[in-house]
Amino acid sequence: MERPIAYDKLAREDRFVRMRARDVADLKIAQGLPPFPDLSSRESIKERVHGIMVGELQAMEGAGRSVCDFPEAPWEFTLDMARQVWDESRHVEIYLRLLEHLDGFAGEFPETTILWRCACAEDAAARVAGVNRGLEGLACDVFNQLVHIARKIGDPVLERAVEFVLADEITHVRMGSKWLTRLTEGDPERRRRAVEFQETIDERFNLGGVRREGEHDLVPISIATDVRRLAGFTEEEIERLIKTTQRSQVY
Amino acid sequence: MPHPLEGPFAVEHSARLLRNYRYVVERALRAAGGWIALTPELSAKLLLGRHVWDLAQHADAFGRRLPELRATAHQGEPANAAVVAFMDAVEAPEAPHETVERLVGVYRVLKPHLLAVYSQHLARANAVYEPPTRQILARCIEDETRHVTAGETILRHLVRTPELEARAAARQRRLEPLLAAAGGVTGDVPPDAPGGTASPAVETSDDAREWIRLEKAVGAWPMPAGLADALRAFGGALGAGDAAAVARWLAPGTGWDIAGLGARAPRSSRIVAFARIGRQCVVKLALDGAGPTVTLQSRWVPGEAGWRAAALEILGRDPAPAVLPPR
Ligand SMILES: [Fe+2]
Ligand SMILES: [Fe+2]
Repeated sequence: MERPIAYDKLAREDRFVRMRARDVADLKIAQGLPPFPDLSSRESIKERVHGIMVGELQAMEGAGRSVCDFPEAPWEFTLDMARQVWDESRHVEIYLRLLEHLDGFAGEFPETTILWRCACAEDAAARVAGVNRGLEGLACDVFNQLVHIARKIGDPVLERAVEFVLADEITHVRMGSKWLTRLTEGDPERRRRAVEFQETIDERFNLGGVRREGEHDLVPISIATDVRRLAGFTEEEIERLIKTTQRSQVY
Repeated sequence: MPHPLEGPFAVEHSARLLRNYRYVVERALRAAGGWIALTPELSAKLLLGRHVWDLAQHADAFGRRLPELRATAHQGEPANAAVVAFMDAVEAPEAPHETVERLVGVYRVLKPHLLAVYSQHLARANAVYEPPTRQILARCIEDETRHVTAGETILRHLVRTPELEARAAARQRRLEPLLAAAGGVTGDVPPDAPGGTASPAVETSDDAREWIRLEKAVGAWPMPAGLADALRAFGGALGAGDAAAVARWLAPGTGWDIAGLGARAPRSSRIVAFARIGRQCVVKLALDGAGPTVTLQSRWVPGEAGWRAAALEILGRDPAPAVLPPR
């Protein structure tokens, strides 16, 4: 088998429209809309949920590639990645059903693939740092906020389902922390490169000031500090993330 | 009546069988994991995604049992070179249009065989001193039964034209002799062993049926007023090869020409994707004609004169029709 695969080999059914994230954001700004769907209406929640569904799809595909791409890694690494594939496959199903619950459908909004590109890192340590700590950390922020909003608007279906997904994502972050440490034991240079990769992802997914510290209903994506602590991010890491979001330019 | 402590396997033999299983299961696991990204159909993606973890647990259980049988933990071993060749052939199809080949290899050849081999092993393993192995086999049998059923449900959903049926049958005909030549995954299964490569009796799986339903979730595209008419007229103009009529549907400054479609005008067009970006819509049209199907992606903007295409891009020319029927 080809290992790893080129990022443009990600296979999709025809019904998905794939576009660059930047192009989608520009087209929205030109219409006077926020570049990233907020959570102010059922319609924008639906668009956010669609984005998450596609993200879960790419997370499942990325974890699947990690099962495939690293036969030389410790067996327990493969085991954790395989477990993650299963979790993400349930998440895809959950978000497809939530999309139905919100009267939406798969393909209703364009798919962007920045998340998948991060999952194509060639080094296993960089991949778990970037995907499990960077992107799943972002997922913790987004899901924690979505649970809060669902509770506020009185949607118990959304609230309960996303809360269970969030529990899985916390586990995935922990897996990422474990494997970042174990795969780079005795190799500080490899660890440095992996952490650097994660930081570029964190920076990128601050989305030009969209992710911020703040109240769930006041900022587009709120940093889930408590959940991040639970997932094993250090105080120093959380503080650094908050600082970088303050540094990021507003879109 | 045989003595309850009689058993056909020595410790070494039992360990060898588990190493053989672990080898093929680990390879199947890595292939299935890698294929998720390479497989377009959502139902097939979810099928593989659900089963990767079960396969990993099977490989893990075999691997952890090995040191209890005086062998090295987690060390798989192919029974012979022909098993390696068989697994090479199983994992070979990687192109996006080869989903049927991928699924037939795993769900109609490998897994039914594993099910048969595990069942025979369980029937023969001594009930007094081999319960640790028997428990692992019982769990694998339960999972594989479920997998084969779900796989068959998805295959029946995807294999829906005579051409695809022929491809599925050809794939099975190619792999089964390789497996038989290897003597099965353990190298010692007689070619006529019962249930070795036969398709199991099929009951549809509820899980798999749900994945198919989720794949087909939208019945009609929820188009804003006027867009469906605009698309119909635009498609008609493309079908007629009428450059002037096509141009009337383009927003001012949109530099696109029907000539981009090549010499052959499409006979008909169908909508295969509909997405929204704010008030604008992105529509993918599959253009069918004498030649290969062409996919045209277009972005439509509302204006005073109605809907107009502001950007068009030819995404590709499929050599073969998509596996899924038009909706
Ligand atoms: Fe997830
Ligand atoms: Fe995850």
